[in-house]
Amino acid sequence: MSRRPIYMRSSHRGLKTFFVLALCVWGGWYLYKNTFVFDIQKVIDASILKEKFFEADVKEIVSPKYGIKAYLLEDHTNPIISLNFSFKNAGYAADDENAQGVAVLSSSLLTEGAGKYNSQAFKEILENKAIGLSFAADREDLNGSLLTTKPNRRIAYELLREALIHPRFDAEDVERNKLQMLEALKRQKEHPENVLSLSVAKEVYGTHPYARNPLGKERDIRQINAEQLKSFVKNNLTRSNLIVGIAGDISSIEARNMLDNVFGALPENGNANFVRDVKINFDGRNKEIKLDSGQNMIMKVAQGVARNDADFYPLFIANHILGGSGLNSKLSQEIREKRGLTYGVYSYMSIDGKAPLLVGAFSATADKFTQADELFEKVWLDFGENGVSQAELDKAKKFLTASYNLRFASIQNISEILLAMQKYDLGLDFLKKRNSYVKKVKLDDVNRAAEKYFNNNLISVAVGSF
Amino acid sequence: MLVSVRPTQAKLFNGEEFYLENGLQVIVVPNHRVPIIKHMLWYKSGSADEPLGKGGVAHLLEHLMFRGTHKIPDNKFNEIMDDNGAESNAFTSLDMTTYHQSLDISRLEMAMFLEADRMQNLNFSKEAFEAEKNIVFQERKQRVDNNPAAYFGEAMRRGLWQNHPYSRPVTGTDEEILSLTPQDVMDFYKKHYTPNNAVLVLSGDIDVYTAKKLAEKYYGGISKGKKIEKSDTPVIEPSLRQEISMSRPQINSVSVVKTYAAPSFNFMPEYQYALSVLASYMGDGDTSKLYKKLVLRDKKALVVSVSYDGVADSYGTFSISAVPQDGITPDELIVSINNAWAEALAELDEKELSRIKQKLLAGLVYLKDNPKDAAYIVGSMAVVGIPLEEIEKQSDKIKEVRLVDMKKAAALLEKKSPQITGVLLPDGGAE
Repeated sequence: MSRRPIYMRSSHRGLKTFFVLALCVWGGWYLYKNTFVFDIQKVIDASILKEKFFEADVKEIVSPKYGIKAYLLEDHTNPIISLNFSFKNAGYAADDENAQGVAVLSSSLLTEGAGKYNSQAFKEILENKAIGLSFAADREDLNGSLLTTKPNRRIAYELLREALIHPRFDAEDVERNKLQMLEALKRQKEHPENVLSLSVAKEVYGTHPYARNPLGKERDIRQINAEQLKSFVKNNLTRSNLIVGIAGDISSIEARNMLDNVFGALPENGNANFVRDVKINFDGRNKEIKLDSGQNMIMKVAQGVARNDADFYPLFIANHILGGSGLNSKLSQEIREKRGLTYGVYSYMSIDGKAPLLVGAFSATADKFTQADELFEKVWLDFGENGVSQAELDKAKKFLTASYNLRFASIQNISEILLAMQKYDLGLDFLKKRNSYVKKVKLDDVNRAAEKYFNNNLISVAVGSF
Repeated sequence: MLVSVRPTQAKLFNGEEFYLENGLQVIVVPNHRVPIIKHMLWYKSGSADEPLGKGGVAHLLEHLMFRGTHKIPDNKFNEIMDDNGAESNAFTSLDMTTYHQSLDISRLEMAMFLEADRMQNLNFSKEAFEAEKNIVFQERKQRVDNNPAAYFGEAMRRGLWQNHPYSRPVTGTDEEILSLTPQDVMDFYKKHYTPNNAVLVLSGDIDVYTAKKLAEKYYGGISKGKKIEKSDTPVIEPSLRQEISMSRPQINSVSVVKTYAAPSFNFMPEYQYALSVLASYMGDGDTSKLYKKLVLRDKKALVVSVSYDGVADSYGTFSISAVPQDGITPDELIVSINNAWAEALAELDEKELSRIKQKLLAGLVYLKDNPKDAAYIVGSMAVVGIPLEEIEKQSDKIKEVRLVDMKKAAALLEKKSPQITGVLLPDGGAE
């Protein structure tokens, strides 16, 4: 018993030494961390301003007389009311084949006089009372927005109703708007990015109406007459394809009556053109278009997913990490931040129901272009093969959830969101649930999506000098 | 310790301001709808403050401010912003350089810490410098060389501003960008990035008491910098009448632009509100006088617009731009613009004046709805020296404009302001 086994002694000493060493290492690390590496989390944790929950109480309202539905968010911060609305499937892709430009021309003429107000009288009220009323036809829908102060709301509603129900299409206004559209068409091609996006549409959609120029076709625009415009309005501006988002200083009762008053006189149904489904062959083809410009520009297009697809959130997060998050995205880090080959490289999702796409793009001077392009391809394919790490996923989720409230900055932003919630059928409780949708995405889901969508099946179109 | 607190009455933005002892001006614009905030730091120095031959240094510095400090090295700034859901960016213009973030209110202190840190401790690597130099070079190529009308804009500015620093591009020229050194950047940084040369704007879910406490905590410890003596900017000969014409292969359509070196808040400020009202009367929107005459009645122009920017350290700019209708030559359009202008001026009476004032006042309420927009408007005005009190009283200032003020302002533009008329044409001239 007098002998202590050596191993015990040594082990005991070892333990002591270990503790001393550990203390030194920890002390050194502590010192290093607090002196040299600043831990920003401490500032955040100690902040006297804490996280607050933003309660976005969205209601669905139904008008008493015509049963017109809308989403409403009441907010009385400022005496402002904002309306966003869409007539679904009334976009330019639905124009007759030989009348390309009707939807766009109609939408610009809707604010050129209606009912008893000629163009100047109509616009004078809008301008003098700071009422923002505008219409724009995109590929799928005809969208409108109305922004008014509370004191001017009655005349604002009247002008909107008249614009929808009794647009005048006076000959002189039609002629002037046609000339302005033709001018815009001429100027469009002055910019390399427009040349690129028009070429991409042609290359991707071929003979499908999605390939059309968003500004219409010169020959067609010249021939459009008032009858075509009137029939466009009659067939497309109806209650059955209408969705509405309302936000601001307006009560639920007032909003319901406003819906009847403004949209009630629209026909129940129309006769909209049907746009056929899109078939795209993502076969890895490249197209180069020679153009005298300061930089080459390229756009790459791959299969994406629609807003309601099961893969939407996994792909949304994957895209954020690859090219959607600004300077910290993988594409930006490799091509811009480390090497200075471009001012901007990014990727995004286009969630159009008929042709959902993943799009990547950058521009660079001709001497750097090939190197940037090779890097782009490498990063894109690596991403598909290797996916993301748990740490990257966690970071992306942090950004996407923590930044969510920023999109409610203005009343107009809010009514736009209310409209999008209906367009994509996200549900009345979407604003409350959205962050949970992001949080529940698992690493496997993201990596499965990355593998499925980020591969060689791209269509590439570039403009510049090669 | 706060040197002064000047609460202002409930006005356009309901803002409040105070100064720290080190000279930092802080403006708070409360908006409690959503728990978010815009944190914006405006330096009163931009490309017009660059030493000759160092064009682009203010802008390159703006880029390098994202490339690390002693405490927050390399790419950390951007990573932290991302991890915390912040939208962070910056911009450089002639008179100012601005850094801004939109954030959840719980992340404001973080942003204040980081912004205060990079006001004092910038420390970028050689590699980062080289990369950013290339990036700003590519930025110039993208913004200018890929936009054929931008060449024309640069030529117009050279023609009008002569040897005034406003003649130089904010990005610098290609050669200047490529010749900049880390020392050039640090020299500009050390001279201009001081609390007494900056305005901090906090716009969003915050009250002035909390704002004071936090501004003091994060920015209060930074020592005051040397007062920057703004060098006198050259006076441009008032009788200067320039004409330029340019044709470029990518251009498909003719543009006509007439620009005046005009009064501003810092140069003959007594004219600025009259010029705002005049610009609106002449060419703001489709019911303005020039639109009615040139587009609707005479059918000389397809579009016409007039704009005035008086928020500047030196001269302001007043601009008329138009596009001719088919078959109208640029010269014919210029003559028509001048005639329409004279006619509109003769028609200006009390009734027209009160209509145009009403129009300008009707939309002011929108300006404060979005805290991001409010921060931008308030900051851009404050940074050139416009007192908050005056920013808040925009409606009174507009109401005070008299008929005689507008006539005087118009006469000043016509007779005593340097001006340039430019025509941009497709290759081979007008069709």
